[in-house]
Amino acid sequence: MFEVFLKELKELLRDRKTLLFVVALPVAIFPIIFALMGFLMSKAAIEAEQKVHTYAIINAQHAPEFKDKLFYHKNFKLVEGDFKTVDDLKTAVQNEVIDVGIVITDDARSSLESGKSNSWQVVFNDSSSLSFIFARIKEMAEEFSQTLQSEQFNKLGIANEQQEALLNPIVLEKVDTADLRENLGEKLGALIPYLLIPLVLAGASYPAIDLGAGEKERGTLETLLLTPISRTELVLGKFFTVLFTSLATALITVASMGIWMKMAGNFFEVEKITDAFSMLGFADFALILLLLIPLACVFSSLVLAISIYARSFKEAQNYMGPLSMLAFLPLIVAMMPNMELSMSTAMVPITNVALAIKEILKGTVDYSFVGMIFIATAVLAGLLMTACVHWFKKEEVLFR
Amino acid sequence: MIEVSALKKRFKLTKDHKVKNDEKKDPREDKDYFHSVRDVSFTCNQGEVLGLLGPNGAGKTTTLRMLSTALSPDDGQIKINGIDVVKKPLEARKKIGFLSGSTGLYGRLTAKENIEYFARLHGMNKQAVKTRCDELFEMLDMHSFLDKRAEHLSTGMKQKTNIARAVVHNPEVIVLDEPTTGLDIMTTQTVISFIQSIKAQGTPVIFSTHHLDEVELLCERVSVIDKGITCFDGTIGEFKERGRSDVLNNAFLTILKEQQGV
Repeated sequence: MFEVFLKELKELLRDRKTLLFVVALPVAIFPIIFALMGFLMSKAAIEAEQKVHTYAIINAQHAPEFKDKLFYHKNFKLVEGDFKTVDDLKTAVQNEVIDVGIVITDDARSSLESGKSNSWQVVFNDSSSLSFIFARIKEMAEEFSQTLQSEQFNKLGIANEQQEALLNPIVLEKVDTADLRENLGEKLGALIPYLLIPLVLAGASYPAIDLGAGEKERGTLETLLLTPISRTELVLGKFFTVLFTSLATALITVASMGIWMKMAGNFFEVEKITDAFSMLGFADFALILLLLIPLACVFSSLVLAISIYARSFKEAQNYMGPLSMLAFLPLIVAMMPNMELSMSTAMVPITNVALAIKEILKGTVDYSFVGMIFIATAVLAGLLMTACVHWFKKEEVLFR
Repeated sequence: MIEVSALKKRFKLTKDHKVKNDEKKDPREDKDYFHSVRDVSFTCNQGEVLGLLGPNGAGKTTTLRMLSTALSPDDGQIKINGIDVVKKPLEARKKIGFLSGSTGLYGRLTAKENIEYFARLHGMNKQAVKTRCDELFEMLDMHSFLDKRAEHLSTGMKQKTNIARAVVHNPEVIVLDEPTTGLDIMTTQTVISFIQSIKAQGTPVIFSTHHLDEVELLCERVSVIDKGITCFDGTIGEFKERGRSDVLNNAFLTILKEQQGV
């Protein structure tokens, strides 16, 4: 068995494709993702920020301060035109004559004096996700509102301090009992298993295809079956190879994530995140690994069984697609907001591990659940492994 | 000494097969099973070479796979030097060297590593592996490409490596399934000289083939399988006599025709 394991490992290490998938990808993927995302986001944000919007305004005379403010704003440019109604503005926006149109219905000052608020309409296309049009106009309108408010207060003879209190009689202050780690854990904690678990599967499936279907395709399986090694030992040798690469992928990923995060921490202001994660102890990592091991066993048995069944590389790859979809499903369930570890969720494979990893990262894990999940997953892994060994002894699987 | 008697093997039919074969019904097929091998018997003594002949799909490969323990028969007996292959497959495997036209090598291992891997799987210790490998490398003249990866070897080199792999554990019998199919003349010659050298050592060899010139050259005995049943088993002389021709091709066709007429 050990001979088989060593040889498979040696062969895999000589394969550039495997190295690419198991080592290079997890090491390189984070800086690439981070850099690319950062670059694109900041670029889009800068573009949106610098964009100059053309506008038209109806009844500007009703709000002179607002009109001037808008006119002198660096991001806004007035378009002269004959606009009378909201519909005029709508057509103009649709025809891209202007980016935004504003309708002021009444004289803001006089209507406030008579005790009425004023409603304006802002006409623009709100489908773009990164747009500052409305926010900017709102800001200026609020400024104008404040001007009007203090004018009125002053008329009524209310001092500035009182004005503040009148406007905000009650101020709510948040006192969060969740510490930083729990807070971040809830937000990021769902993402980590989402990344880690598919990698465990990916790390298992590529070598598994090579070890099962690959042997059939190359015609080495038959020779291997004729050696005086029991088929159980053969399967186990292969199984441990797959398990090893699968866990190696996960470990390399975690390590690379840690290192890159630390490096990023030196350049950017992500102290909060690094601080929160520095609270993670060795025990937490060990616990995560402990949960990943039986899960990796589950995946390894599954992909190996599929691979042994397949006649060729291609056939095996065709089966892997649906399998990874199946693995994603319980992960998505775990990602849903407010999903928590309970007696029932602890029994759903994959979902339970994902939830437990999240809890571990949050620092709020219930250790009895971890034990239960470990046992449940280990039992499942044992069953699948037995099935896989049995599967490998079937002639109709080996000689299809 | 290899003794095979009344071997039987059937395969469960899949749905695809059932539909596909609805029109042309093979006599070996019943409702659920395809009886690939129905009654195969032959013997091969020490120092003899047995040629296993038969049309495509006759059951030769299935028979040889049962002989080499890859498949287990439904019925019948296989004995190699007194050991029951069916009952003690692990023990029997140590005594069999198997090679077929389609067996491959691990491309990312070197020729040497390929051979040594199988030697270790056969439970040989370090010293034994080294001695035996040196012997084989000398015999097959392999020194020039030992450390090249198998994927970069020529067909001839690959076949030599395959041969070395098959016999690294000093098997007591050699089973070859169409070892020359698809090979060029040079490589075929490598295989033929290998069979001759094995024969010279007194090891019995069974090989299936479609090339009757190889049979003429190498074999003492011939066994013909048709539709899963042995229809001839005997010496070359008896084969020619039964087929009423000195030309093996003609003798073969006569025997098959008679069998199908029965």
